[in-house]
Amino acid sequence: MLCDRCQKRDAQVLYTEIINGTKKEQHLCEECAAEYTSFQMDKPFLNSEFSLGDLLSTLFDNYPATGTKNATQNIPNIVCNKCNTTYEEFLQKGKFGCADCYRSFNSYLGKTLKGIQGAEVHTGKRPKGYVTSTDRILKGLSESEKLSIKLQEAIEKEEFEEAARLRDLIKEIKKEEIGNA
Amino acid sequence: MLKWYEQNVADSDVVISSRVRLARNLEEFPFSGKLQEEQAVTLVNKVKKITNLLSEKDHRKYYSCNISTLSEIDKSAMVERHIVSPLLATKEQTTGLILSEDETISIMINEEDHVRIQAIVGGMNLEEAYQEADKIDDIAYDELHFAYDEKYGYLTECPTNAGTGMRASCMVFLPALSSARMIQKLIEEVGKYGMTIRGIYGEGSKSLGNMYQISNQKTLGNSEREIIDNLKRIVTQIVKQERKRREYMLSVNSDEIQDQVYRTYGILKYARQISSDDAMNLLSQLKFGVDAKLIKLDRECNIHKLMMGVQPGSLQWTLGKNVGSLSRDQARAEYIRKELPTII
Repeated sequence: MLCDRCQKRDAQVLYTEIINGTKKEQHLCEECAAEYTSFQMDKPFLNSEFSLGDLLSTLFDNYPATGTKNATQNIPNIVCNKCNTTYEEFLQKGKFGCADCYRSFNSYLGKTLKGIQGAEVHTGKRPKGYVTSTDRILKGLSESEKLSIKLQEAIEKEEFEEAARLRDLIKEIKKEEIGNA
Repeated sequence: MLKWYEQNVADSDVVISSRVRLARNLEEFPFSGKLQEEQAVTLVNKVKKITNLLSEKDHRKYYSCNISTLSEIDKSAMVERHIVSPLLATKEQTTGLILSEDETISIMINEEDHVRIQAIVGGMNLEEAYQEADKIDDIAYDELHFAYDEKYGYLTECPTNAGTGMRASCMVFLPALSSARMIQKLIEEVGKYGMTIRGIYGEGSKSLGNMYQISNQKTLGNSEREIIDNLKRIVTQIVKQERKRREYMLSVNSDEIQDQVYRTYGILKYARQISSDDAMNLLSQLKFGVDAKLIKLDRECNIHKLMMGVQPGSLQWTLGKNVGSLSRDQARAEYIRKELPTII
């Protein structure tokens, strides 16, 4: 059956209207039904958005949601030293002001991120040539110190042959170091 | 050079395209919400400077422009083809675009993040889409030094994008699952695996012509590889379910469905005015019929390309002028008549 209104599409909705006791029935397609009546087909993509800010503030069970009486009481008073975004502003808008905000709010971010992302530490791509702090520390160490770390790792992994080899190597290097000194 | 939507690809009966988007920000500028107009101009100019470098290192031609220099028609046609996001096209501040000639790579400048690198390829091909985006990210990083933190990964304005900054998605065509009213269930199901299903123009958009977008929701904690593998697994499952459902529909109802497909063809071939929503629904039915071999056409017809062609912006872009909605409906009917092959 075609839609009573547009006469083009299949009717999928029977719309019954009773005004002052007079009953009127119409067969409508989804589009006309949506346009001429208050009828809404389940459109899961509409109206499903909510503000991330609301979500963020609710994630903080210690801090009452913004908008309530004592909303601001328990929110830590931190300000990003580069862009002046406050932590409260971040919670309200759900947006950082600049890259430095991540560092400024660092001690409180773990929980927020865990709440939205289910994790708080990045495990993916690292920019080419990026030097991590571990790399930097390793760079400053002497040869025997680096080997000691490896030795520790080998022992933890119960790779005892490798551990023995490393132990001997460290001994030799230390001898040389003492000799040089 | 063929555009991605003009090529023949695997699994195109269900998976129309695969897309990967990487969100990146430059360390020296505040994020978009705190960015002043003068800074936006500097940012757009700075990023646009990598255009030549990209052409040189990626061995294909790249073009750049400021979005404000484009006409309204150009902008909406680009949104419809997924080259730019609705946000970029409508933002008041200075925004920019770098685009490869095959439209596979687009780089949006000053969108929600400073730089959004997007790679889009036809069919089920998430790996290739990621490799393309990853390569561009490496080339761009040398010049732009994106904000990155060991713990939080790539830093983005919104915490929902931090980490990999990656949104991977597949555009899928699900006529059988939609008609069986199984989409809502599917949305709940994929949600358990950290994926979302949305309409074709992303957040808040409705579904048109039974096209949906499936994408990862979380960007932190999993590597790019893991995100792609998870999404691929989910999409493969959905492809299987959709195909099974189509087979079932045809096994119980093939005469009625075939009749419907021929009627649809009749409307598309002979109607004198068609709205874009109508055209999308009819083309969706025709695509189903052609993929199921219920109707034979005298030449290969890329129905997805037609679906993009009938969108208001693309249509006016083809016409080369701005027209009102009634004459647009007439022009759309004429465009479809001309593009539609004959039945054999």
